[in-house]
Parts: sequence; structure tokens; C-alpha cells
Amino acid sequence: MLRFLLHRFGILIPTFIGVSIVTFAFIRVLPGDPILLLAGERGVTPERYAQLQELLGFDRPLVVQYWDYLWAILHGDFGTSLVSKQPVLDEFLARFPATLELSLCAMFLAVIIGIPAGVIAAVKRGSIYDQSIMTTALVGYSMPIFWWGLLLIILFSVTLGWTPVSGRISLMYYFPQVTGFMLIDSLLSGEKGAFASAVSHLILPSIVLGTIPLAVIARQTRSAMLEVLGEDYVRTARAKGLSSGRIVGLHALRNALIPVVTVIGLQVGVMMAGAILTETIFSWPGVGKWMLDSVFKRDYPVVQGGLLLIAAVVMVVNLMVDLLYGFINPRIRQG
Amino acid sequence: MTDQTVTETAADTTRSSRSARRAMLKEFWYYFSENKGAVAGLFVFLTLVIVALLAPLLAPYSPDQQFRDSLLVPPVWDADGKAAFLLGTDAVGRDVLSRLIYGARYSLVIGLVVVTLALVSGILLGLVAGFFRGWVDTVIMRLMDVILAFPSLLLALVLVAILGPGLRNAMIAIALVLQPHFVRLTRASVLSEKNKDYVVSARVAGAGKVRLMTRTILPNCLAPLIVQATLSFSTAILDVAALGFLGMGAQPPTPEWGTMLADSREFITRAPWLVTLPGVAILVTVLAINLVGDGLRDTLDPKLKRS
Amino acid sequence: MPLLDIRDLSVTFATSTGAFKAVDGVDISVDAGEVLSIVGESGSGKSVAMLAVMGLLPPTATVTAAHMEFDGVDLKTASKRRRREIIGRDISMIFQEPMSSLNPCFTVGFQIGEALKTHLGLGRSERKKRAIELLSLVGIPEPEKRLSAFPHQLSGGMSQRVMIAMAISCRPKLLIADEPTTALDVTIQAQILDLLVDLQKETEMGLVLITHDMGVVAETAQRVVVQYAGKQVERQDVTGLFDAPHHPYTAALLDALPDRATGDRLPAIPGVVPGQGDRPTGCLFNPRCAFADERCRTVEPPRQPPELGEALCHYPLHTGEAAA
Repeated sequence: MLRFLLHRFGILIPTFIGVSIVTFAFIRVLPGDPILLLAGERGVTPERYAQLQELLGFDRPLVVQYWDYLWAILHGDFGTSLVSKQPVLDEFLARFPATLELSLCAMFLAVIIGIPAGVIAAVKRGSIYDQSIMTTALVGYSMPIFWWGLLLIILFSVTLGWTPVSGRISLMYYFPQVTGFMLIDSLLSGEKGAFASAVSHLILPSIVLGTIPLAVIARQTRSAMLEVLGEDYVRTARAKGLSSGRIVGLHALRNALIPVVTVIGLQVGVMMAGAILTETIFSWPGVGKWMLDSVFKRDYPVVQGGLLLIAAVVMVVNLMVDLLYGFINPRIRQG
Repeated sequence: MTDQTVTETAADTTRSSRSARRAMLKEFWYYFSENKGAVAGLFVFLTLVIVALLAPLLAPYSPDQQFRDSLLVPPVWDADGKAAFLLGTDAVGRDVLSRLIYGARYSLVIGLVVVTLALVSGILLGLVAGFFRGWVDTVIMRLMDVILAFPSLLLALVLVAILGPGLRNAMIAIALVLQPHFVRLTRASVLSEKNKDYVVSARVAGAGKVRLMTRTILPNCLAPLIVQATLSFSTAILDVAALGFLGMGAQPPTPEWGTMLADSREFITRAPWLVTLPGVAILVTVLAINLVGDGLRDTLDPKLKRS
Repeated sequence: MPLLDIRDLSVTFATSTGAFKAVDGVDISVDAGEVLSIVGESGSGKSVAMLAVMGLLPPTATVTAAHMEFDGVDLKTASKRRRREIIGRDISMIFQEPMSSLNPCFTVGFQIGEALKTHLGLGRSERKKRAIELLSLVGIPEPEKRLSAFPHQLSGGMSQRVMIAMAISCRPKLLIADEPTTALDVTIQAQILDLLVDLQKETEMGLVLITHDMGVVAETAQRVVVQYAGKQVERQDVTGLFDAPHHPYTAALLDALPDRATGDRLPAIPGVVPGQGDRPTGCLFNPRCAFADERCRTVEPPRQPPELGEALCHYPLHTGEAAA
């Protein structure tokens, strides 16, 4: 297990350095004078230009600049927003809980629906259940989620009026952010109806963001289960006279989960990409919308720092998934 | 064995290889056609190709023609619909059906261009990495790891932000983020095929490196690459549409489906058909291609159980 | 009354190219404390018959039988639940591939304890005690330590010992061993066979040993059934079978044993067991039989009397001929 983790870590570090080089290079490869670009369309005074040049160190050799950049990153300095003049890290941390809450809920939906659906499809292979589950999964997998979000808004918000269109909670509630998770904060606030409001805001975005992971998990679970159900040890379990629930739900599923966990890990990156679209559609104040807004505002330090931070988050989550993978696979845990 | 028999058998092999290929195609089609979903997907896809090719003949109007007296006309099945505009008109009075038909052209070209770019560069890098190993391999594969470490759409978004918004740059960006999958696949196949007997014997027979790579090994790695290319085709259409939706892809008034969706967002309550129809077009196209992709995967490589 | 009594058992698989009869009109009876061996090449349907008894066949298989009874319970009419109570407790089975027959995700202790919990309702500490007892019974050193081992940490021989421990955990009346030594090293094979025979003697259970190895049969069995292409071609006790095989197929199998071979080449039976598409008319063995004539090729052979090993043959061999 330790060797496995060290190996994973060994890959992670060069990848992180590579990622930092890419984000570092990003501002330098912009066509034109980077300082003028950074300053945006308003232009700069010559004093400001010199100030920026010194601040950003553009007059020094590239290697030195990169080293300073890496050094700053390792000390938590991811640059400063040109628009808000706030440190990029602070802006990121202020928005990250919203994205995390949304992603967790979406993944929760995807897992609790996707795995049972895949199991049912595999066990009832070729039946009408299998066919409808797999058709639905393929439609979900092919879904343009930005459109899917709009469709759900038309149906549930505009036509039925069941759910709000945007934001994390109704404006009538105001309470301090303790954890950054609206579901928890609304409960902590003790305000009546706040929690229900938070849930109703969260539900559609979660469905939208969870759709593709759900479809992928269902498909992967089915194929993994089909493979496992043909294994000798499943026959052994049957030969023991165990109930079919125990055979499928314990002996087979436990083994099928190993590849499924890998796929769940890969979906984290997919969800971060999906978050940009989902947060845009639902005006969800998370890092995805923040990134897009910054791209439009040409707030390049934010784009640069945000890109690096999001990539780092994805890498950390993948490392955690590897941990989980090692934990559920005895060959690695005991290896 | 004498030299003469060697040449004779070689001649035999070339002759029989053509009929063998035909037999393989026949067998391929036999298994592929067993999968009804895949055949349906192929049918829809071919229909789309025809629609795209014949767009000027099929579309009732030009995609940019504005009918100022018919703004936001609902589709014909609605009480307020007009027979002249089967699927209604948008906010500036353009015929939605015509725009959708021309949009098919964009989507298919996008898929084709992106997949070609990603496939060609991916295969080249993968062959090089798998064949030369050593530091070349390390550098290429670490670079691919780095690209894959970023959420694809986010990286594409930032790339477009650097290169400037537009359809061409969006396609380049998406091709770049899709290409590592091809590199990995090609490299893995090269590594597994490299030491097989037929490659060793080709090498012993004096085949050069380039010939080994392109003539001997590559054809045997094709199955997973074809499947990946098909699935990437649909991903490309989806992602370019997503960039269009975010305002970073094709720019208005291009009748690209994602861009059309972005334009219609503000009419979501007044003219829901403007939102619904382009999305249906994207979904049907992507679904059809994925059906074909699944069918190809099951036919070409039953062991390749990716999702 | 025999412990297991099966008459006229047939198993048909629905395949994409039509129905395939893997087992055809088989009779099996096993008494308590008896060792019955079923011998045949791969494809002869010898495992399928026993899998049918266990109810382990896939849904594509159709099982029919005139009579199928175990220990007074009619398996044909018993409910699924009732059968599950019997399977794993009173009848248990071990398989050819011990390494893949254990679940890689669970510890040895857990997998042994499962049947104890399901069938006997033992508590955690009782299960642990019994599991240790079982592991030492099957000759695994340091059983306490092995309880927490995962299958990938065991060798093939060890895995088969664990499988045996699992199979005998509820003190079954009948143990079915499906080629238990085929996948193991030669040195381990003898150990596992000895273990099975010892356990069988100690516990007085019935043992059905499925094998393709006549050597294994000679060492272990009391009665032997020789199966070919889904049919039983000969049924005898073990001494009679080895002294005087009556079916040409049995004789050919015996001739292929290294210590029986005369001359410097080991005689082999030409050809393979007929499959779904190439079943011959008449006697199923006729294409590979040295004695076959026109009648063998056209008319299905009759069942001979017990003196002739109940051979399914037109021209059963007599002792003199077999020796020749």
C-alpha cells in the first residue's frame, strides 16, 4: 500500500510541476505585451507600467521568473486579481465551497442511482430493465448538459414554478457563512425555511452536473458486474447456498466496485469542466463561473491562478480516489 | 525452404489478403448489424451527413435571412405558428429550420476536423513514444499527463481565451485536449505489439523503423483507435458546442448549434422552442455517433470495455 | 436407500446456434460413505451433471430428470429456498481452479465463516473457533494467522485446502470435487487427494470425484462411471473396471495410462469428443473406436447387463479381448 501510494505521489509531483509550467507559460505566450494585456483595455500610465513590470518581474530571465513563480505558489501566493485587487487564493477559497457542495451532491446522486442501475442492468441482462437503463444511460452520456440545464429550468422553474432559477439560496435569508456549505449553514442559522430554500436551489444544478457521471457510472458498473458475475468465486458463493442478494450485493459488487471507483475518480475532472457550464446556467457562485467571468473580464492573473488551483484540486481528489482504490482492493492494500 | 517458394507464398499472400480483407469486412458487418442500436445510429448519422451536404437544397431559406415582420414565430404545431416557418423563427426573424440544417454542416465539420487533428498528432506522438522509449517517451507521456490533469473544457476555455474566441481556435483547443487519449492508446498498443512474433520477424527480415511503425504495427492498433476516434467525434461536437454556448466558440451569427443556444437563452420564457430545438439537434447527433461507437467497440474489440 | 439418487438426468443448453445436449440420460447414485468417480475427457459433460445437482447452471441450461433425490428430499420439487438450505450445508462442492474460486476481496476467515453463519447461525467467536479448527483439519499451518489472509497471498495448493475447509465446514453428507487437483502442481496433487480421502473416511461423507485422470480414480474411488459425450458408457466398481473394462472407450483410457503402456509410445485416442455440430449417428464413440463397424455407425447401442459393466456398446469387450 505504501509503495503504491509513493508511486502515485511520484507521478503527481512531476505532473504538478508540469501544470505549473503550463500556467506560468500561459501569460507569456499571450500575443502582444503581457503588461498591456494584464492592464486590460483601459491601458496603463507609464508609472503603472513600470510598477507592474517590476511587480511581475517581466524584465528578468524566464527561468528566474518561473522559479519565483513556483516559489510564490508554494507560499500560497497565486497572484492578485486585476479587477478586485484581491489575492487570487482568497477569491478561490471564497467560491470553492459552493462548487464543492454542488459537486458532492451531484456525485452523490450519480453514485446512489448509477451503481444500483448498473447492477440491475447486469443481473437482468437482456431484459427490458437492462435495455431501458442502458438506453437512458446512453442518452445521459450524450447529453449536452448546458441544454439539459435550460430544459430543466423551462420545465421545473418556468412552467411548474417548483424550483428557483438561480443562486444558492433565496435572497430573503441572510446568515453568516460558517462552513461555506449552504446546506449546513442554513441549518446552523436556525432560520425557518432556509434549509428548504437551499435544497430547492441545489437540486436542479446537482441533477445537471450529475447526469454524465451518472451515465458513465451506470455503464461501467454494468460491464464490471457482467464480468464479475461470470467469475469462479461467484459460483463458489452460489455453491455455499447464499441468498442471491448476498451473492450479487456482496460477493459480486465488492469486486465490481474496483474498476467503478477508478471511473468515479476520472469523473471528478469531468465534473470540474461541467461546473463551468452548470454554474453559468444557474448563476451558481462557484469557481467555474468565476473562471468564466474572469476570462471575459480578461483578469488574467485570476485565470492563471484559478487554472492552477483547479488542476491541483483535481489532482488531490484523484490521489484520494487512489487511496480509496487501494483500500477496497486487497491486492494493493496487502501487496 | 528455397527462395522461390518464399516469393510464391508472398504472391499468394497478397492475392489472398484482398479476399481476406473482404471476408473480414463481411464478418465485421455481420456482427455490427446484429446491434440494432448501432445500425439506427449509423442511419441517423448518414442522414445528417446527407442533410449537411444538401443543406442549400433542403433549407427553405438562407440561414442569415431575416424576416423582420416575423420575429419569434413559434413552430407550426403551435396555434400562432406559420406554415412558412416549420420550426419557427428567432428574435431577428431567421428561420430556425434553415439554421439547424446549416448547423449540421458545422457540427460534422467540427467533429471531422477535431478528430483528424487529434488522431494524426496523437498517433504520431504515440508511435514515437512507444518506439523510441527513453527520454523521448518520458517527455511525451509526462506532457500528456499534464494536459490530462486539467479539466478538459476548462483548459480548452483558457486556450481559447489566449488564442482569441472563434470556431477555428475552439477546434484547435478541443483537439489539443482530446489528443492525449490517442497518444496513450497508440503507445500502449505499440508496446504490446512490439515484441510479438510478427513484428520481430518483420524486423529480422530487415524492415526499417518507419516501415515497422506504419506498415506492420499501426494496422494492428487500429481497432481501439477507431473506437476512440468515434467517441471523440461526439465529444468534439459536444465540447465545441459548449464553448459556443459560453460565447468562446463560433461567434454569432454563425448557425452553430451551441452558439444558437447561447443566443436564445434570454428568450427562455418567451420562446422556449429556440432553446429546445438546437439542443435536440445536438443530442440526436451525439447520441447517434455514440451508438455507432458502442457498436464498433463491441464488434471490433469485445475486450475493450470502456465507458 | 442411496444418499443421492438421480435417474435419467439430461441437461440442454440453449446456444446461439441451437440447443446442445451436454448431459444425456445420466443415472447417478451415491451412498453415504462411498466414493464415486466420474471419468471422462473435457467436454464429456461430467461436471455439468453435478452442477445441475447443485443448481449452479446458468439460466440458459434446461435440466430434466425422471428422479432427483438427495437424502430424502426431492430436488425436483423442492423450493429454491429449500434447495439453498441443502446446498453448502449437506452437499458442497469444490472446483478445478482454486485460485479463482476464492473471492479476492474477502479474507479466508470471512469466506469460511459465511457458510457457518448462513447455515448454522454461529456467532462471531464460534465461527472463528470453527474456522481455525477447519484450517488445521485441512493441514494449513498457523491457522490463526491465515484467517486474515487474502486469497492472493495463498498458493494454489493452499487455496484448494481453504476451498476444502469451506466445503466441509457444515459437515456435509456429500462432497462433490470437480477436478480438484487438475490445476495444481504434481507434488501437491497427491497431497490434496490424500486429504480428500482421509476427510471422507473420517467424516463418513459421500464423495463424488470428477476427474479425467484414471490414476486418480485408481487411488481413490470405489465405483466408477465413465462418461463420454454426455452419456455414461460404462459403470463398474473400480477393481472390475481396471481388470476388465467392457467399453472400448474405457479400455482406451486405461491404455493411455503410462504405467500400463506396453511398448515405447503411449497410445492416445485419436480425435476429440464430438461437440454440438458433429454428433455422429449410432454409437457416439464410433468415429474414434477401433472396433466400430456398420452397425455402430447406424444403430444406437444398447445398455449391457451389470456383468458387462453396463457398457453402452454393441460389442462389449470381454476380459480376454481387453487384455489383448
